[in-house]
Amino acid sequence: MKKYTASPISRKRFLQLCGSIAAGTAIAAVSGAAATQAIRRRSADYFWQIDPSKCTFCGRCEKECVLTVSAVKCIHANKVCGYCDLCGGYYRANVKDLNTAAENLMCPTGAIKREYVEDPYFEYTIDESLCNGCGKCAKGCNSFGNGSLYLQVKQELCKSCNECKISKVCPADAIRRVARGKAYMLKDA
Amino acid sequence: MKSCMKKLIEILILILLSAAAEAQSRFPKPDFESGYQYPTFSYAVPGETLWSTVDVILLAAMMSVTAWAVIRQRRRTPVFIVSIISVLYFGFFRSGCICSVGAIQNVILSFIDSSYAMPLTVFLVFILPVIFTFFFGRVFCAGVCPFGALQELVNIKNFRLSKAVSAALGIIPWIYLIFAILYAATRSSFIICRFDPFIGIFRMGGDAGMITFGGLLLVASAFTGRPFCRFLCPYGALLSLFSRFSIWRISITPSCISCELCHNACPVAAIRPPYENKVKERRRDGVKRLLAYLIFLPVMALAGALAGRMASHSLSTVNKDIRLYRQVAQNEVNPRDIQPVDVEVFFSQGGTVDELEARAAKIGADFKAYSTAAGALIGLVVAITLINLSVKRTRKTYEIDHAACVACGRCFGYCPQNIKHQRTNDMSKKDSIRVQGVGK
Ligand code: SF4
Ligand code: SF4
Ligand code: SF4
Ligand code: SF4
Repeated sequence: MKKYTASPISRKRFLQLCGSIAAGTAIAAVSGAAATQAIRRRSADYFWQIDPSKCTFCGRCEKECVLTVSAVKCIHANKVCGYCDLCGGYYRANVKDLNTAAENLMCPTGAIKREYVEDPYFEYTIDESLCNGCGKCAKGCNSFGNGSLYLQVKQELCKSCNECKISKVCPADAIRRVARGKAYMLKDA
Repeated sequence: MKSCMKKLIEILILILLSAAAEAQSRFPKPDFESGYQYPTFSYAVPGETLWSTVDVILLAAMMSVTAWAVIRQRRRTPVFIVSIISVLYFGFFRSGCICSVGAIQNVILSFIDSSYAMPLTVFLVFILPVIFTFFFGRVFCAGVCPFGALQELVNIKNFRLSKAVSAALGIIPWIYLIFAILYAATRSSFIICRFDPFIGIFRMGGDAGMITFGGLLLVASAFTGRPFCRFLCPYGALLSLFSRFSIWRISITPSCISCELCHNACPVAAIRPPYENKVKERRRDGVKRLLAYLIFLPVMALAGALAGRMASHSLSTVNKDIRLYRQVAQNEVNPRDIQPVDVEVFFSQGGTVDELEARAAKIGADFKAYSTAAGALIGLVVAITLINLSVKRTRKTYEIDHAACVACGRCFGYCPQNIKHQRTNDMSKKDSIRVQGVGK
């Protein structure tokens, strides 16, 4: 009888050893599995981008980003733009007078700059410091114009969240990760 | 009625699709005569690759320093410095993502979803602290983790919670971990990232609710050690497993005089005082107790599994596709004039109810399986906690519970024996230098 009760310490040590072996094996197994995976799927996608062909400009990008001012901004693809006088992204639909009074403009923050180029063309530029990513202009441009205004995640603002919060509410499933090499999905690229 | 709706929707889709196809060519490209040049914008990617390499190197270096400080030097000062660097660099400068705590989810996702490729740095950020913990105890938690470091730095007082309360609250990290795995494995959500209380503080902005919660946690951690680490952190739960079986580890000063000072100083109640178990258990009773456990554990697991299975329907609401499916289904039964945005977009993109239904059914089945497993695990965790609470073991000396010890090194500064030891060590070092100097 004595023999069995004699050494609680060595039993503890033994359990400890078993645990250590199990823990070590677990680490080795997970590392091994991850290594084989890394070999199988080479390039890892890292940056969040909006697929411009999917986005429906629902407006959630403005509200859902974890940043106080969304990392999503409007981008203008000049090479796609028609340089229209009557811009569907600049003016609201059915405005009475085509002047730059705020109630006529699509952009709630006045972030779109309009500049005369030559008859009948106007150049539109986004002031990113004002843009809040609401996508109103992009929606207008896509329904009445060439769709040269669109929304995109700006990498220098984006925190590259482990899981982009917007991606979980985007109705169009437009937000996905892209590889480091091509961190922007551009319309005129 | 239903088929009529479907027809209508199909026609709608066709119209929308043709409109979308036209969208690019409504207005021709202007040909400028004034020599207008298209402006060029550069969309440069910040040096993210560089930074993530720096992250990994710093992570390993800071954990090595901590291990050296707490195991070889038995001093807290280096840990304190590491904490400050961590809060400034990992916390405020790098502002959170990716962190080791959240990386659990990426690892799980990469094993489940073959289309998800996990960046190597993310894996290293996950596995390095685990490896270090396996070798040296929770040196990551000591001060390298910005969350732990932040709580540690604001801690001034150390009110104790009763053993039962801390044991009960201590179940939460395990449940959190299990749910995080459940939701990552079903590709639903990264809940650790979503409910991160400190990232809003580090980013100085964000979800108001989470920032408030983070602020409250910090206030709490001023008065009791690391509430987030002890009662919430899922990674801490995982690390505690590896720490329990770590190879080299922090120890009580060998010449301990049982003064109790370290016990009072430990912020996470990891030092257990000596205890004499008066009730001598007979062998027969011991066997009986063991048998009772052997029945109790599976019963709890089974109960948990059942509960998990029953909850799987509501648990799956977190999944986006399931939510969409339920909305669409509701819309089918009871069509509204103005459809919810998600439903509208779903149809406008050419989605069909059948395809969505199949997808939702598959995810639902996944949820059923995973929730059952999760429930069983939670049942086991609860059972083990209860058993641990009921078992009393004799301890002859002060002992460190390595699962709980976060290797912060606070106890070293309180231990009179340790201080004495270090003084004499320092003296002899100085002496030997002086002696050498004289010798020259
Ligand atoms: S949430 Fe999706 S659809 Fe809505 S604006 Fe953002 S990317 Fe576009
Ligand atoms: S990854 Fe984060 S910061 Fe970037 S757009 Fe998404 S929510 Fe905003
Ligand atoms: S328990 Fe979690 S939050 Fe606390 S230090 Fe460890 S990893 Fe960080
Ligand atoms: S190092 Fe000492 S004070 Fe810190 S957690 Fe471990 S036992 Fe407690």
